[in-house]
Amino acid sequence: MKSQFRHRYWNHINGWLLVLPAVFMISMFTHYPIITTLYHSFFSTGTAAHPAKFIGLENYSYLLKDEIFWKVLSNNFLYSVCTVPISIAIALGMALLVNRNIKGLSLIRMSFFSPTILPMIAVANIWLFFYTPGYGLFDQILRAFGGNSHNWLGNLHTALFCLIVMAIWKQSGFFMIFYLAALQQISPELKEAGVAEGAGSWYYFRRVTFPLLMPTTLFVAINAVIESFILVDHLVVMTKGGPNNATSLLLYYIYETAFSFWDSSYAATLTVVLVLILAVITVIQFTTMEKQIHYQ
Amino acid sequence: MDVITLKDVDKIWGNFQALNHVNFQCKEGQLLALLGPSGCGKSTTLRLIAGLETPTSGTIEIKGKDVTFLPPAKRNISMVFQNYALFPHLTVKENILFGLKARKVPVTERRKRLANAVDLLGLSTLLDRKPAHLSGGQRQRVALGRAIVAQSSICLMDEPLSNLDAKLRQEMRQEIRSLQQRLDMTMIYVTHDQVEAMTMADEIILIKDGNIEQHGTAEDLYNRPETIFAAKFIGSPPMNILSPDANLMKAFSSMLPDGITPESHRIGVRPEDIQISENRGINVEIETIEYLGADTMIGCRFGEQRITMTVKGKNRLHIGDHITLDWKPDHIHLFDAQSGRRLKNI
Amino acid sequence: MRSWDNGTQKTLETIGAWMLGILWLIPIVFSFWSAFHPAKFTTNFDLFAPLTIENFIRALSCAPFPRYLMNTFILVTLILAAQFVLCTLAAYGFVRFDFFGKDILFALVLLQLMIMPETLLVENYRIIKSLGLLDTITGIGIPYMASAFGIFLLRQSFKTIPKELVEAAQIEGVSSLGILWKVYVPLSKPIYIAYGLVSVSYHWNEFLWPLVITSSVNTRPLTVGLAIFAAPETGVDWSVIMAATVMTTAPLLVAFILFQRQFVQSFMHLGIK
Repeated sequence: MKSQFRHRYWNHINGWLLVLPAVFMISMFTHYPIITTLYHSFFSTGTAAHPAKFIGLENYSYLLKDEIFWKVLSNNFLYSVCTVPISIAIALGMALLVNRNIKGLSLIRMSFFSPTILPMIAVANIWLFFYTPGYGLFDQILRAFGGNSHNWLGNLHTALFCLIVMAIWKQSGFFMIFYLAALQQISPELKEAGVAEGAGSWYYFRRVTFPLLMPTTLFVAINAVIESFILVDHLVVMTKGGPNNATSLLLYYIYETAFSFWDSSYAATLTVVLVLILAVITVIQFTTMEKQIHYQ
Repeated sequence: MDVITLKDVDKIWGNFQALNHVNFQCKEGQLLALLGPSGCGKSTTLRLIAGLETPTSGTIEIKGKDVTFLPPAKRNISMVFQNYALFPHLTVKENILFGLKARKVPVTERRKRLANAVDLLGLSTLLDRKPAHLSGGQRQRVALGRAIVAQSSICLMDEPLSNLDAKLRQEMRQEIRSLQQRLDMTMIYVTHDQVEAMTMADEIILIKDGNIEQHGTAEDLYNRPETIFAAKFIGSPPMNILSPDANLMKAFSSMLPDGITPESHRIGVRPEDIQISENRGINVEIETIEYLGADTMIGCRFGEQRITMTVKGKNRLHIGDHITLDWKPDHIHLFDAQSGRRLKNI
Repeated sequence: MRSWDNGTQKTLETIGAWMLGILWLIPIVFSFWSAFHPAKFTTNFDLFAPLTIENFIRALSCAPFPRYLMNTFILVTLILAAQFVLCTLAAYGFVRFDFFGKDILFALVLLQLMIMPETLLVENYRIIKSLGLLDTITGIGIPYMASAFGIFLLRQSFKTIPKELVEAAQIEGVSSLGILWKVYVPLSKPIYIAYGLVSVSYHWNEFLWPLVITSSVNTRPLTVGLAIFAAPETGVDWSVIMAATVMTTAPLLVAFILFQRQFVQSFMHLGIK
């Protein structure tokens, strides 16, 4: 019977029709590129004169020998290792400071959060000026106290750390919000119980608040790590990866390889590495989230 | 005329049989109650009639047309939900007119029906409020209003009064019944409250575990319950179901046919049919006395069994007293102990 | 530490919070200060320098910032509109209908939460090129129009709608899409607002991907325009760059100050999810 048929497949037809446009778009710009990236990494870069040809794992063996790649990778890890814990610690501190009834609370909160609203490129410009040797803001201050001017961003040893400081400034306020949300979920009764037991502030924080915030910390940490791999806007205006690749990060290297050196097949290879790193991070995220759920 | 017909309807969820071979008809202009304990399948039956679920097998007909697989919108019915299902973001007026706008009923007609419903239900001061600012009873009326303006001749009600307090329930019961009669609606009314069913319905279908226990008028169910379950479900306090032990048989064997045994029979007698007697009857000891104002419920014991009776007003009995209980032969209900079914002998 | 007086501790914390708050604002405050004072005071700080808007005039004459602003505006609006439509439909499909392959498709969607289109910029560039959308605003926006995050959020929200409301609407004769539009969407308004704020901020501030796709003034958003303008080769004064920076960030900052509550609430709301 016609209506019976229609009824039986109603769910399926409707469901698919509704979901298809979005899923198609996502596939086209996420799933499909992942596959073609992998595919292209096995081919050389083609031009009109010399079409691409299959070269197997040649790109990968080149990758393993590429000093710049290893430099970039180690930079990225150093960058992550420095920005993530410090941002989180500051964010937590901010949240604790702001999570109470002090005067001017909303202004302070706004101040902490404001870097989040700015584009990284604007932040980069401002801090580029700060770091400018001689008349940049930091050097102006230093010289006022009798110090010397420094080539902050031009110095192999300080360049990356300058970027790290800037990134911490930009991110901390954003992570503060998550901690704020989590802190407000902690029942105030716990604090009262703690006070009744004679627990001091620090003790209480260490034994009660911080463990309760662990899920948030994990969430924020994962996001921060991912962010440290994919946000490279500042490199484009501040250092262009220099001096001598001292500040280059993986995605920037990919961008350079693809759009400055026009070596798209090597860029594809590098992208595969980036995708793998992100995949590993996500797997870690899921497994720790699972453990959290079981723990609670 | 039969307006709604269910033929051999089954509903199975995975391994669970919610409805088993349900057959019944509902006549036009009738208020039919689907009565039963939680989980018996009465709401499922209603939802099948509404079209919110489809039967695993069997057919459903509305006004002679097979609607088994027809979506709810095409069945021309209205429904009132247990939790009223009012749209929180719309005002009372918008809630009531929701369906009419969806069906593109012309504006003048909409206004007319709205005015009519508002008049019938006393909603004129509430039209611009949102559901969050209404009391339970007011929300109930709005849900009714929405059902009335649809002007479909069939109205389905899913335990509409269960979220209201006792006094309000009584008021609304009367209001709904009078509304149904005035507008000549065919109404199928699901409830677990036997008082509602008894006072409102033209016919009652008692459902147990997906099967129809009994289908009849309130009088049928009260005077001639077909099963022990029906006997205990209807009437408050419920009928006493007693095993014909030695004590009972000594007192009442003259009223009973031969061959009554405790293994294969049960005797039923309603508390309100029991009197305290001077001479004949069964000797019992009083265990509890509950004074309700108009009646007093007396719980007694004989041997291993308990029996409850009601007397009018207050009296001078005390716990521990020994009294004799008696009743008339035609107040005895005889049931088969294994199947629970009524035996035709009395 | 138990010997600290509660009052003293609180005061110290308040002072600490204030100090940190002020410190945190310095970069932004400085950029504004620099933008509104003549160029030489940026390099030689003088608190009592006169105010001026010549930096802004210079910036506007060197680069078409109004055009950039319009491009950015069109971009975020286009993306947001597409996201609302596509994500609403998809979330509705996932919540209301039980269809073959539903779980797999949803898992595939969630993949985008981990690997964003920007990561795959090499391949996506190729795709945009082959679609003939290079150097168009659509080209910038199209990889983001179906947002896994949006679908995820809306699905969470739609799931909280009681089934009874849907059934009541069905009985009243409303079609499937009608139920979406009249029941699900209105009741999810806070989520739409929160998501809208997040999406707009994110795409307003995006840089690398638009940099790759655009090559002309007609399509360039503010971020790319600022970067090109501020490049050392142009030899522009710092204060002018700061003025340009202020122009780029001002719209969002103003929106933030006005709607501070909503912004913070939105991000918090989403954090809990």
